[in-house]
Amino acid sequence: MTRANDYAIEVENLTKRYGGVLAVDDISFTVKIGEVFALLGPNGAGKTTAVEIIDTIRTPTSGKVSILGMDVSKKKYDIVRRIGVLPQGFSSFDRITVRETLQYYARLYRGRNTDIDRLIELVNLKDKSKEQYRNLSGGLRQRLGIALALVHDPEVVFLDEPTTGLDPRARHEVWEVLQGLKEEGKTVLLTTHYMEEAELLADTVAIISRGKIIAMGSPGELIETNANYQILTLRSADEKVFEIVRKLGFEPVLYNSDKIKIRVEHTEGVQQILSAIKEGGASYLGLDVRKPNLEEVFLKLTGEALHDGHIGEEGSA
Amino acid sequence: MNTRVVGATLFVKLMSVYREKTTMFFTLAFPIILILVFGTIFMGKDNVNFQLYVQDLDQSKTSATSVETLGESGKFRIIRVDPAADVTQYIRDNKVDLVLVIPKGFEVAFMQRTVLRDYKASVNITYIYDPSSSTVSTKMEILNGVLAGINLEMSRMPPFLRSAEQSILNKKYKFIEFFIPGIIAMAVMTLSLFGTVNLNTELRQKGIIRKLSTTPITRTEWILSDILYQFIIAVVSTTAMLLVSYAVFDVNLHLNAWLPAFILLNDFAFVGIGMILTRFVKEAQSAAAAANAISFPMMFLSGSFFPIELMPGFLQTLAKTLPLYYVNEGLRAAMIFDDNLAALRASAVIGTFAAVVFILGIIATKWEEG
Ligand SMILES: Nc1ncnc2c1ncn2[C@@H]1O[C@H](COP(=O)(O)OP(=O)(O)O)[C@@H](O)[C@H]1O
Ligand SMILES: [Mg+2]
Repeated sequence: MTRANDYAIEVENLTKRYGGVLAVDDISFTVKIGEVFALLGPNGAGKTTAVEIIDTIRTPTSGKVSILGMDVSKKKYDIVRRIGVLPQGFSSFDRITVRETLQYYARLYRGRNTDIDRLIELVNLKDKSKEQYRNLSGGLRQRLGIALALVHDPEVVFLDEPTTGLDPRARHEVWEVLQGLKEEGKTVLLTTHYMEEAELLADTVAIISRGKIIAMGSPGELIETNANYQILTLRSADEKVFEIVRKLGFEPVLYNSDKIKIRVEHTEGVQQILSAIKEGGASYLGLDVRKPNLEEVFLKLTGEALHDGHIGEEGSA
Repeated sequence: MNTRVVGATLFVKLMSVYREKTTMFFTLAFPIILILVFGTIFMGKDNVNFQLYVQDLDQSKTSATSVETLGESGKFRIIRVDPAADVTQYIRDNKVDLVLVIPKGFEVAFMQRTVLRDYKASVNITYIYDPSSSTVSTKMEILNGVLAGINLEMSRMPPFLRSAEQSILNKKYKFIEFFIPGIIAMAVMTLSLFGTVNLNTELRQKGIIRKLSTTPITRTEWILSDILYQFIIAVVSTTAMLLVSYAVFDVNLHLNAWLPAFILLNDFAFVGIGMILTRFVKEAQSAAAAANAISFPMMFLSGSFFPIELMPGFLQTLAKTLPLYYVNEGLRAAMIFDDNLAALRASAVIGTFAAVVFILGIIATKWEEG
């Protein structure tokens, strides 16, 4: 086997320009066969542009993309048979049922014997199989979209923001389906702006901001190299606490009106803060010490939050 | 090209419209309403007979019989004018274009001629008419013909020159029969054009086209399924129109293979135009506006509603550049005049146009985005 065949996806110096906007700015990465790779970044970072060039929906301004060793600009027709795509904001024929939709897409891949029932079971839509698309909730629609991306048992699967807009329960249900894919050993390219999703599912995460990949590695590596500290959160409405911590030389951040977040480089720092509060006669209602997550990594690297509002709210779920 | 892919896509489109009952109802109802409205408006116009105003100054038995005879010729409906009336004033007051005046002494002169064989005896029938009326000269010609016939009869000589009428049409057709092929052509055009534009812009806005672009379906398969889909809708719609026409207006049309053939060619041409529009007009609303901009002039200028002979010369020339004109011509040739040669000529023109537009439609259809 040649070296190229170890990679499901190879992206070299990919650039996409829309007028004056550089949506994707010279990115390169590779995805190994069987790997789950996540592009993590906020809205407008260029994730969709990048992934849609890779999965043949759009064309690049410059750069080279290969899937399973085939150039996407030359072999689109061969490639589409071997990839499955869940586009961002997936939608389907309103008045066609779940089962009919799956049968239709299966038919598009010409005569393979698709086990529709197995797919319906995989995405947990058994009791909805006779329901028309327009009657499905957002989470069910996304699950149908994932099933459609798998209808021809593709080698590489592209999922563009599979859980955006879903409520937490629906999101967890989709994650379960995606973890199933990971266990099956499918190669997956995923985009998301939920750090939790990337951390939970991805072997490799590429953090993308303003069209550029600014860091890449396993979630553990990224946190280790970019955010080697602890986060202490104190719940207290006592104003004295804030002052005491600041006098010690830390930079406390107040959020949600009664929470104080403090970045602590060493574990001793936690001890120091807690004793100082006690000595100063102040009190707190609760505390939490945790390792940083990709959210903080992103903040550290870009100076911006992944989401609007304060960091850490989605914290440790 | 894979027929199973085309078939599966066709199924999805048909199920979508079948399950949307109200849309389907209005789609089918619109041309039927047109036929009912226009058919009713023009129902009386088919047995044209002129009203003939007659003032009988003689008031004799003979003059009365003569007037009756005029009425019995079937060409006129006789309306009597009071002998005391001033005819010129009567014409002005009643907006009448012509009054025929039978003079006093009509019976006397008639008797001299028939009984006494006085061949010098004659009588002047006066036409008092309004020359600004457009139909009055036709009316006078017909009258002249009728009077000449009466003269001939009275001379009791068998005529030497006889005329035999033979229409170029095998039968006389009613206006509604002229109208129906035009409405079919128009309805199939609008169904194909708007159907294609609406369906494809909607699917594009929903992102379904984007998803399809990541599957192996080809543009040709997609457009062919569109054409078949619109063809089925067009056939259903045409069948409904014909059923209503036969039931309500008792029309008599030739129904043969030309009808589905022209529906299919019409469908190919306008699905193709629809695909081209969809490609270049991104917003659903502007695409619908563009479809309107194409279909409206086509509807009114190509002779769907009335014969283009009624239009000024330059518009007639323009009409002959419109594809729908050839569908109208072809359908009328086939359905009214049973003229296979004319239908064949029209089908050649629209067929060529359809082939070109269909290919352009395939080329214009773009799965990838910029
Ligand atoms: N079709 C397009 N035309 C013009 N600009 C675009 C287009 N698609 C994306 N962009 C711009 O490119 C940037 C990246 O967008 P996108 O790839 O959708 O980001 P993400 O998926 O990370 O939210 C944004 O600034 C967006 O406005
Ligand atoms: Mg996106």
